[in-house]
Amino acid sequence: MRTALTLLQVDTPLTARPATDRMDDVALAAAGDVRAFERLYRAHLPRVHGLVRRMTAGRDADELTQDVFVRLWQKLSSFRGESAFSTWLHRLAANVVIERFRTDTTRRQRHVDGEGIFESLPGARSSGDLAMDLETALEKLPDGAREIFVLHDVEGYKHQEIADLLEISAGTSKAQLHRARMILRRHLRPASA
Amino acid sequence: MSHPHDHVTEQLSEYLDGELPVSARESVDAHLSGCAECRRLIEDLGSIVAAATTLPDTLPDRDLWAGVAQRIGATRATVTPFTPPVRRRFSFSVLQLAAAGILLMLMSGGLVYLARPHDDRGASGVTRAEPSAAAGDALTVSVANAQYDGAVADLERRLKAGRGELDPETVRVLEQNLGAIDTAIEQCRRALEADPANAYLTNHLVSARQRKIALLRRATALTTGS
Repeated sequence: MRTALTLLQVDTPLTARPATDRMDDVALAAAGDVRAFERLYRAHLPRVHGLVRRMTAGRDADELTQDVFVRLWQKLSSFRGESAFSTWLHRLAANVVIERFRTDTTRRQRHVDGEGIFESLPGARSSGDLAMDLETALEKLPDGAREIFVLHDVEGYKHQEIADLLEISAGTSKAQLHRARMILRRHLRPASA
Repeated sequence: MSHPHDHVTEQLSEYLDGELPVSARESVDAHLSGCAECRRLIEDLGSIVAAATTLPDTLPDRDLWAGVAQRIGATRATVTPFTPPVRRRFSFSVLQLAAAGILLMLMSGGLVYLARPHDDRGASGVTRAEPSAAAGDALTVSVANAQYDGAVADLERRLKAGRGELDPETVRVLEQNLGAIDTAIEQCRRALEADPANAYLTNHLVSARQRKIALLRRATALTTGS
């Protein structure tokens, strides 16, 4: 059960605001307005947290989510509006997670999974809700395969974009994506795998 | 000599994503027409891809703002109790996702059909097995229609119940966008009645429907504060 926490006071609703207001908030926050930044945080927290949690399989997800917003505060003035703000923020979030992976020695070989990868995920009992089962299965994927599956199939990145982010080839991204899908299929539909 | 099945299996993700060159895609098409196992595999992969697009955004179990505020040097004295908003989760059944997966597969196949010459004979002179694919297409779209209508009706019901929570300007923009999408859907439907096999139109119809679902999901999430 969730416990009630405390939160800084705000004067206006933080959700249900038109996108144009949020663009104003981007400009205000870039100029140092903390309230505007808090509104941005609340508007984008669910999407950013979902991305971080799925990429990391939940490990350190809250800490990394905070890192993303601290980085956002530091980088906001460099946002030029060349892409949608949400697109820019999600790329920044993915970069924060990837940087963490790079400094984690246990994860450095994450894109060089051996053939044993197909054996790493046993079949599981289905809940009858494929999306819910997929969430569970994602957490058990090897790091490299999971990162690419989340970026491509959940977040909609192209292989070349993933290759640029992860400093791998587009071919490796494609191969890892296929592996991830095959592992997930084995997990989600063990009778047919 | 290796069995062509292994080679095709490795290509199925690229096939599903529409990233195979036309010649390779035609080779996979030919294999799929005679391989039930690979057809099951690509349907499963399509279901997984479809499910991935429906995964909901998430919230942490504790509010993270205080930590962020501290790290960026923001301090304010006044605090108010925080209760995490009740989050609704939008999900599809396995059957719905399977239908979506099959549709994805058929869509990508349909785009290739448009991209190649409309000749029943390939370079080898072998007649292609088209009729079964066409029959499957019609069935899949029909299933997807029913599931889509149900999902939209459910979301619209939730939105109607919670629209009082939205800013009037948000409601105005939302209705404007939904109206534009509905117009596009209706135009596609009418065009498809005249040309049911047109994969380009099917693609646009599915895309418009996805936009409507996505917009309704976001609007519904706003009404719950998630």
